[in-house]
Amino acid sequence: MRASSSRLPNKTVRGLSKHAVLIVVSVLLGFPLLWMVLTSFKTNPQSLALPVVWWPHPFEWKNYPDFLAAVPFYRYVLNTLLYAAVTIVGVCISSSLVAYGFSRIHWKGRDVLFQVMVSTLLIPFFATLIPLFVMYRKFHMVGWYLPLMVPTFLGSSVFSTFLLRQFFMTIPESLSDAARVDGANEFYIYSRIILPMAKPAMATVILFQFIYCWNDYIGPLVYIDNQTWYPLSLGLYQVLGTYTTDWPWVMAAATAATAPIVILFFFTQRTFIKGIAVQGTGVKG
Amino acid sequence: MQASTSLPSAQRTRDTQAQGLRRAVKRRHTRAGLLFVSPWVIGFLAFFVYPFFATLYYSFTNFNGIQSAKLIGFTNYVDLFHDPLFKTSLFNTFYYTACELPLSTIVALGLALLLNMDVKGRAIYRTIFYIPSIVPLVASCLIFVWIFNPDSGIVNDLLTDVHIPGPGWFFSIVWSKPSFILLGLWGLGQPMVIYLAGLQSVPREMYEVADLDGARPWQRLRYVTLPMISPVILFNVILQLVLCIAYFTQAQVIENGDVGGPGTSTWFYVQYLYEQAFEYLKFGYSSAMAFFLFVVSALIMVALFKSSSRWVYYASEQQ
Repeated sequence: MRASSSRLPNKTVRGLSKHAVLIVVSVLLGFPLLWMVLTSFKTNPQSLALPVVWWPHPFEWKNYPDFLAAVPFYRYVLNTLLYAAVTIVGVCISSSLVAYGFSRIHWKGRDVLFQVMVSTLLIPFFATLIPLFVMYRKFHMVGWYLPLMVPTFLGSSVFSTFLLRQFFMTIPESLSDAARVDGANEFYIYSRIILPMAKPAMATVILFQFIYCWNDYIGPLVYIDNQTWYPLSLGLYQVLGTYTTDWPWVMAAATAATAPIVILFFFTQRTFIKGIAVQGTGVKG
Repeated sequence: MQASTSLPSAQRTRDTQAQGLRRAVKRRHTRAGLLFVSPWVIGFLAFFVYPFFATLYYSFTNFNGIQSAKLIGFTNYVDLFHDPLFKTSLFNTFYYTACELPLSTIVALGLALLLNMDVKGRAIYRTIFYIPSIVPLVASCLIFVWIFNPDSGIVNDLLTDVHIPGPGWFFSIVWSKPSFILLGLWGLGQPMVIYLAGLQSVPREMYEVADLDGARPWQRLRYVTLPMISPVILFNVILQLVLCIAYFTQAQVIENGDVGGPGTSTWFYVQYLYEQAFEYLKFGYSSAMAFFLFVVSALIMVALFKSSSRWVYYASEQQ
């Protein structure tokens, strides 16, 4: 490499300039979140003061208890957790079954059907919404989470199925063949051999489904009309509408909704990043 | 197996037996495979095939979602093309997509290239770069409305410090769409991570060869990196395109009551579709919009895949 001819100081300068760029970008990307947290600890006049008050003084902790007293935040969190829990069960069961059928058994038409499944990812939610809404209303399912829960038991999470399939394909074929020779049927192989090996992939699926539910806005917006059943996202939206003039409150609400998920991300980063990177691997196939 | 015709009959029967057995096994595998994927097949029929045809049918009717649908021919489609708001929403969505798609590609790829540099503490930078994407979308919207607040937001305050009059951002007809584009550029963690994985799979030797040929950094990027990761670029462009076409949540949250505002500058297509159905109960009209959306996005995807053979390079094809 030509770089070997350059002297050490040059190298240090280059290293420092790389860090400088990375730090500037980090500040740009991190600033909105920092500003959210700082604003949440200001008094209302402080937040509106010009020139801008950078550091809250005194620290106003009261925004949090005040906002928690005014908004049924815990109820929203419980609703979200319920939504997440049921759909996680649905996704784990149906996506693993479907992924098994798309990876561990060879059959005619398998790959064509798989392509069809992946291409449904390109269809916007709203392109199919109206007949589905009419159908759910006929079944008296509108108003609660059932229209969002039922599909997850029918393999609606293409991302999870895709991720599990990619994982299943890394398990050696010989393992299944050995079991088949011993007379094991496919369901036995699926439940006793493949699933126990897929725990890390299942953890990724659970994590992504949880985050999906925590963030989902469109689904509940269409189907949940009773405020007591609002998930966090809709509750948060209401906060903006009601307290637009009190930015520390709005930012306290935003912080409260963001903090749990950021903390979860810190602890599960590796699983998380790997799960996303796997999506890209399907491209080369 | 044509040669088997000249074989002794005992062997021939053994062969046909083996073939029969193989066919039976195949049939059993097909049955098992279909059984395993049946949840998805049912879901596909119920949530895609049925709605597709039902949407097409509703689009030819006058339907308010409650009373039974009345066939009215092409009226909805004719009305659509005379509806100025339909055109506006189509234009706004096109504007957003035309800006967001190239910008998000450049930014996400740029971030991935930065993270791919050989420096200490890469994991920490990666975490910071990714965090905006983990923030719930509604919270991101609240944060952006606040920092881009025309009167007391931090961005305009900083602009005033350098003697630039800050615009009205989300509250200005001219600046509202660029504001949404900026919001879209904050939170590209998913494509960034996919690009990063792509960058890391480019063989090191290719760069060494390029270095031997005296390639400059820009040439390395243009002639080695970009062709090698072009399948990943296609993948991410498709993902972003789907998000752009279905742009809804951010607009709905930020406009907060003043749908499409200020003026009609932020009516997005899908939002107009939603409002037609759930605010005005014009399910037939909305279905015509949904079907149009379906056709247009299908055409775009086909065009994208067709063109991809010209600019996407699959290393495995060359072997």
